[in-house]
Parts: sequence; structure tokens; C-alpha cells
Amino acid sequence: MHTLLKLFSLALVVLTTGCAQMTMGTPQPTAENTASLRQAKLEEARVGAFTLDAGKPAQMDKGHSLRGAQMQAPTNGSFAEYLRESLRVELAAAGLLNPQADAVISGFLTHTDVAPDIGTGTAALSARFVVTRGGAKRYEQELSVQSEWESSFMGAVAVPAAAQQYEGLYRKLVGRLVADPAFRQALSK
Amino acid sequence: MFLADFSIHMQSNFRSWVSRSVRVLCVAAGVALTGCASVYVDTATREVADTEIKRPAIALPAALVFDFQTNGAPNAAATRFLKDQVAAQVEKSGLFQVVPTAGGNTALLNITINNVPITKDAAQQGFVTGLTFGLAGSAVTDGYICTVSYVPADGSPTVSSTARHAIHTTMGNATAPANGVKSASTEEAVRTMARQIIANALRDLSTNPQLK
Repeated sequence: MHTLLKLFSLALVVLTTGCAQMTMGTPQPTAENTASLRQAKLEEARVGAFTLDAGKPAQMDKGHSLRGAQMQAPTNGSFAEYLRESLRVELAAAGLLNPQADAVISGFLTHTDVAPDIGTGTAALSARFVVTRGGAKRYEQELSVQSEWESSFMGAVAVPAAAQQYEGLYRKLVGRLVADPAFRQALSK
Repeated sequence: MFLADFSIHMQSNFRSWVSRSVRVLCVAAGVALTGCASVYVDTATREVADTEIKRPAIALPAALVFDFQTNGAPNAAATRFLKDQVAAQVEKSGLFQVVPTAGGNTALLNITINNVPITKDAAQQGFVTGLTFGLAGSAVTDGYICTVSYVPADGSPTVSSTARHAIHTTMGNATAPANGVKSASTEEAVRTMARQIIANALRDLSTNPQLK
């Protein structure tokens, strides 16, 4: 009983304030994106640099505060790198990743935000993708995705939900890219 | 971390976020004072007999990707919790030979379990055939939708199957739900649910003539 009361007190603190530090999961390919890429019959490509867009605050790339809990990416603590890895695993799963390929996909993180507000949580992610082939730019487009969800006032419920919704945006953004007819045209055989 | 998150999440299935949060506190209080939050795996979705799986002559090589989601969003902690069990189950099914890395000449086997809230309306409309909604006000039901997708290496259409399941949680001395088997712990309930739901989805996939 004494242990249970201690756990209950700890639970109360955690329930209202959330966890201290959270690291996003390792990017994985999805059936939808893999199938979409395989069916598109594209040329192989390599993934170039993904960085924070010029003029954006450095902290945008480093972490998000979710009601006091810090969320960060496992990719050198960089959300731009996390986007790069999200794209890389999808290309690899579709058999389109080739480190020696002529075509290069690079990107610039232009916007990222997540807010586990009481009532409605929101998250947004934007990046500008660039495709070059033979040194010539074939594609440049800024794409955006967002999410909204019911968000609890209890931190231990709201914070993980926000982290999950935010993490899901990366595969959504890659999905937007691979479905873009202009992107497919840039990498067409 | 996952078990605490999961236990709390299982209490968060109500439309009103205020109601949900109050129930979270009540569960914590109930657990602390009585130690009696009970979990039941629904019986509408059952174990699959080995003979029900239609195995190919040679297991299909495929890279396995398992993803546990909460309301459609990736849940990394839950994924880590279950991924070894899922991989072992896929291998044992004899349908697929799991290869380490997805790539151009390798098919992709994507298994997703999505944890969704079950409202009273959804239960009454038959989220799972034969599902009995838990006791109003004293039980919470978590729904699960498993999707197994086989993405062939040659770009031909994806072959998919789905299955559904549920876990009920009661607090204190509430009567057990009629269609539930009590589990010793939340961990056992989640593992049982995952095993059964994946087995059902794999069985259905195995009978699809497009799987080859």
C-alpha cells in the first residue's frame, strides 16, 4: 500500500506535467509510400543534404517543448536530418536509393511546430525539396502537412499524443512529395 | 514507460477531454487505493489454428516493418514493446521469410496495429462482430485495427488484409464484461491481443489468391 501511494503521488505529478525528455522513433518505411514509389517507375536517386532553411532560428531544428517535456529527433538532434532519414528509408525500401546516382534529392526545413494545447492539439511541418539531375535543377517545391487532434489537459496523456502526431507528419510529408506529379516527372526514366 | 503510457491511454476513450482526464485520475486513484484495474481481452477475435493458415510451398521473402499506432499516429514505445513478438510470429506462420533489409528486389511486409477509441455508438454498430460493449461508466474499451500489407518487389498491386480486436478495462469491483477473458496484467492482455489480431490478419491474407 505504501508503494502504491508513492506511485500514485508520482503519477499525479506526471499526469499533470508530462515526461521530461522524449526522443522520436526511428523512421520506418510505410506500405503506402513504398508502393507509391515502386509503382511510379522512377530513376534511382541519392539523398543529399537536408538543413534548416536560411534565416530560420536554429532552435527550430533542435527540439520542441511539449508542456515542459523536450522532444528531439534521434538523428543528431536535427529535425531536418530526421526528414532526410524518413525519405531515405522510403527510397531504400522501394529500391530507388543509390549512393552513386546522378539524381540528388536535397531539402530545407522551412517550418516545424507542435502545440499540445488543452482541447485541440496542432502540429505542422514544411520543407522545400530540390531535385537535381546532371547538375541541373529539375524540381523545387515547398510542401506542407499539418495535423489536429483532441488534446487532454493531463500532460501524461497530451504529451505522448502530441509527440506521436508530430512524428507522423514526417511520413505524411514524404508521402506528399512522392505523390507530387512534378517530383515524379523530375525523376522519371 | 510504455506500460504506464498504455495504461493511461486505455482510460482515454471518451469524447469529452474533461471526462477523459477525470477518469484518468479516477483510475489512478482506484489503482492506488484498491490495486484493482482489471483487463479483459475480447473473445470475438480468437486464436487461429495452425491449419487455418494457407502456406505457400516456399515462404515469401519479405522485409518486415511493424508499426503500432495510436489514433493513426506512430507510437514508437509501443512499437518497440511488440516488434520482437511480431517478428517471431510472422516467421512462425510459415507465410513469409523475414529478410533484414527492405530493398529493390525485396517485397515489403508492413504490419500496423492502430489503437482507436471505441465509443458506445461504434460498439453498438459492431466494431467487432459479436463485441459486447463494456459496462457504461465503469469500463473502458480500446479498439485495435490490424492491417497487414504485402508490397511486391515488382511494383504490382499491394495485397492487404485487416482484422479487429478489443481490450476492456474495468475499475474496482465492477463486474467483468460478458465477452472477455481476464488477463493477469496489461502486458499480457496487449501481447495476447497482438498475437490474435495478427494471426487473424495473416490467415486472411494467406487465402488471398493474389498473394504470390
